[in-house]
Amino acid sequence: MADKDPSDVSTNQANNPLTRKLNKILETRLDNDKDMLEALKALSTIFTENNLRSRRNLRSDIEKRSLAINEEFLQSFQAVKEQLDSVYSDVKEMNECCQDMTNRLKAAKDQTHDLISQTTTLHAESQKLQMKSQVADAFLNKFQLKSEEAKIIRGTRDGALHPEFFNALARVKQIHSDCKFLLRTNQQTAGLEIMESMALHQESAYERLYRWTQNECRALTGDSPDISPVLCNAMKALLDRPVLFKYSIDEFGTARRSAVVRGFIDALTRGGPGGTPRPIELHSHDPLRYVGDMMAWLHQATASEKEYLQSLLKNCEVQESQIEDVLGHITEGVCRPFKVRVEQVLLSEQDAVTLYKLDNLLKFYHNTIRQIVNNEAALLSTLTEIQDLSHRMFFNSLTCNANKLLDRVELPPPDLGPTSSLTQTLQLLRDVLACHDASVVPIDDKKQDFKQILSCVVDPLLQMCSVSASRLNSIDMAAYMINGIYLMQSTLALYEFTDTRLEMLQAQIEAHVDTLISEQASFVLTRVGLSTIYGIVENHQPSQGPLSGIQGMDPITVKSAMNKFDSYLASPDSLTLPQCSLILSALVRDNAKRRAVDLICQAYKQMYEAIYNPTNEYKEPQSIVPRTPDQVVKLLS
Amino acid sequence: MKSHKAADMAAGPYNYSYIFKYIIIGDMGVGKSCLLHQFTEKKFMADCPHTIGVEFGTRIIEVAGQKIKLQIWDTAGQERFRAVTRSYYRGAAGALMVYDITRRSTYNHLSSWLTDARNLTNPNTVIFLIGNKCDLDAQRDVTFEEAKQFADENGLMFLECSAKTGENVEDAFLDTAKKIYQNIQDGSLDLNAAESGVQHKPATPRNPLNTDQTPNKEGCAC
Ligand SMILES: Nc1nc2c(ncn2[C@@H]2O[C@H](COP(=O)(O)OP(=O)(O)O)[C@@H](O)[C@H]2O)c(=O)[nH]1
Ligand SMILES: [Mg+2]
Repeated sequence: MADKDPSDVSTNQANNPLTRKLNKILETRLDNDKDMLEALKALSTIFTENNLRSRRNLRSDIEKRSLAINEEFLQSFQAVKEQLDSVYSDVKEMNECCQDMTNRLKAAKDQTHDLISQTTTLHAESQKLQMKSQVADAFLNKFQLKSEEAKIIRGTRDGALHPEFFNALARVKQIHSDCKFLLRTNQQTAGLEIMESMALHQESAYERLYRWTQNECRALTGDSPDISPVLCNAMKALLDRPVLFKYSIDEFGTARRSAVVRGFIDALTRGGPGGTPRPIELHSHDPLRYVGDMMAWLHQATASEKEYLQSLLKNCEVQESQIEDVLGHITEGVCRPFKVRVEQVLLSEQDAVTLYKLDNLLKFYHNTIRQIVNNEAALLSTLTEIQDLSHRMFFNSLTCNANKLLDRVELPPPDLGPTSSLTQTLQLLRDVLACHDASVVPIDDKKQDFKQILSCVVDPLLQMCSVSASRLNSIDMAAYMINGIYLMQSTLALYEFTDTRLEMLQAQIEAHVDTLISEQASFVLTRVGLSTIYGIVENHQPSQGPLSGIQGMDPITVKSAMNKFDSYLASPDSLTLPQCSLILSALVRDNAKRRAVDLICQAYKQMYEAIYNPTNEYKEPQSIVPRTPDQVVKLLS
Repeated sequence: MKSHKAADMAAGPYNYSYIFKYIIIGDMGVGKSCLLHQFTEKKFMADCPHTIGVEFGTRIIEVAGQKIKLQIWDTAGQERFRAVTRSYYRGAAGALMVYDITRRSTYNHLSSWLTDARNLTNPNTVIFLIGNKCDLDAQRDVTFEEAKQFADENGLMFLECSAKTGENVEDAFLDTAKKIYQNIQDGSLDLNAAESGVQHKPATPRNPLNTDQTPNKEGCAC
């Protein structure tokens, strides 16, 4: 590179070593070389005198000095070394110690390894056991009574029932039924054992509950029993033991039964506060009120007892029939005192009307009480019996009356009117039917009764009239019977359900009216002397020849009779039978009169036509029978 | 639910402390059965069947913190049942005497009902006059004032009610009970006597031996 630079003259010079050395020295920048500066500075401390000698000795001086320093250094390090040696031996010792410890630890570790593994196993086992204990606790909780529960179940000596009793009992039941699950698992022995123990608990609990309930029920003999919620719960719980339930409810029934009897007797004999309302027996002289009050009391008591019973069993699902059975038992006690009293009333009562009112009253209550108790209840059968008796007593009384009528039949009075026994009996009938009108019994019963009453009264009456009329002549008999029957008819006409009877009576009246009018007609014809003539006309046959030729039918005889008839026409009433006037009913009387006139007119017409008939060979018929039948009808009506 | 039960227990083991017997009287058709039904069922029964003889309903009410069971006997107003219904006055603590404000005749008959009530109940029986059907004000035939005067003159409590709307029905039954209760409190009604129309349930636990104060008279029954 230097040869190629033609301008650099100094290149040659630079190749000179000296030059190079010099340059190097010149180029040295001392102030940049710190080491050099340090060295020089150190040198200047010992190199105080710059002279030749000192400059010549400099090197050895420096070397001497270096030696001294090194010696000093050595000495110093000797101490350090000794110290380090000591440290070293200490560390070594320590190391040995550690080694020893490590060995020992290792040995220990080897030794404890078994223990640890043993511990681990134990720990695991402990955990398992703990788990088992929890399971066992849970099991016990589920399948065993708490001690306080067992205590509640066992109860106290005084027999009182703990409020928690039913919960405890429910627990026992629950456990018992849960045991069935156990039996399905492989815990059968436990299941069976627990089941057995629960069954024992249950039995003793039910036994105690039953005793308690029995005592409680036995005490319910007040006017209104205090049926506590606890007792209601007890009844409900006892439903699981049907026999105990039944016994308890029977106990209740017996207590109530005697309460009802006592209440009944109190109402009969003691009455209300200060005697108001009065004791029922105070009215025993008034049979209707007496019996009515007793019945109303029984009705109310029965209804109340049913309520009590329902509130006792309000938590229980029992059938209505069961309640009714108990109610039947409760109301059974009063039957006897009640029956005795009513029977006494009925047997000593003779008045048919009162008996009938009693009969209706009893019928009404029979219906009312039948809605509360069932058919098996003694109260109802007592009522049936009593009502049967009242029915019989009533009809007995009616029949008695009827028998009396027939025993002593009165003679018909001269006016052919009703006998006093007839009017009296009809008054009785009216009274009876009137209270039937006010009766409280259903229509069907009413209809049935009516039939029986009517045949009980009307038939003997008719019979009596006939017997009484038997010695009369037929005209008197007809009038007398018409009057009697008419009276019966008009009595019955006021009441319902009598239509058939009325029809029958009407037919009988008609029959007697028929008799009467034919008697009346023939009476008139006889009195005017037409009866023979009419008889001949009626029976005349053409084979007998003309009428005028028959004896007694000559124009003169006929004419004279017709004259008499004419004077009858002038005053028809003069020939009315007295019996016809004695007919009480104006309607029947007028009817009879009209029909008698009809008969007479008919007869006249027949004779008239016969006389006018040319084959009968009457000359001048108009002089014999001057009046036409129409004229006669007009005159007579 | 459970706490309620517990409270019940604490208040005493009984459902109610008294039973009051009522009777409802008055002409047929004045609404006696409807009033009873409205009170017990809180409903109006428009097509109520005719009462045959006597029927009854119950409801438990509360007066002065006491539970009281009302046993209410509804009678038939027809004359033909009168002989029967008369027997039910016995032992009534309250008598509700009802007329129909739209039918004057039912009001005119009140004095005869009142005579029955006075003669056949005990002197402490509370008689409450009810003018029913007050919802039919347009057809009114009896003024409030005259009925009120009648009530005052005879010492009766009085309200106009409607079994249809229920107006005042509750009050009539409750006021009667309050009055009876008051009579018990001030001692004018003797509960120990039978047929006071009130039955008391003792608040203390009973003693099984102490069934009743009177000896059992069953023996003399026959
Ligand atoms: N508008 C109206 N009608 C009533 C009221 N109460 C009853 N009724 C009617 O009156 C009639 C007779 O009622 P009911 O209770 O049978 O009378 P009871 O014979 O006294 O028992 C029935 O048709 C009822 O619908 C009322 O408050 N308002
Ligand atoms: Mg009614």
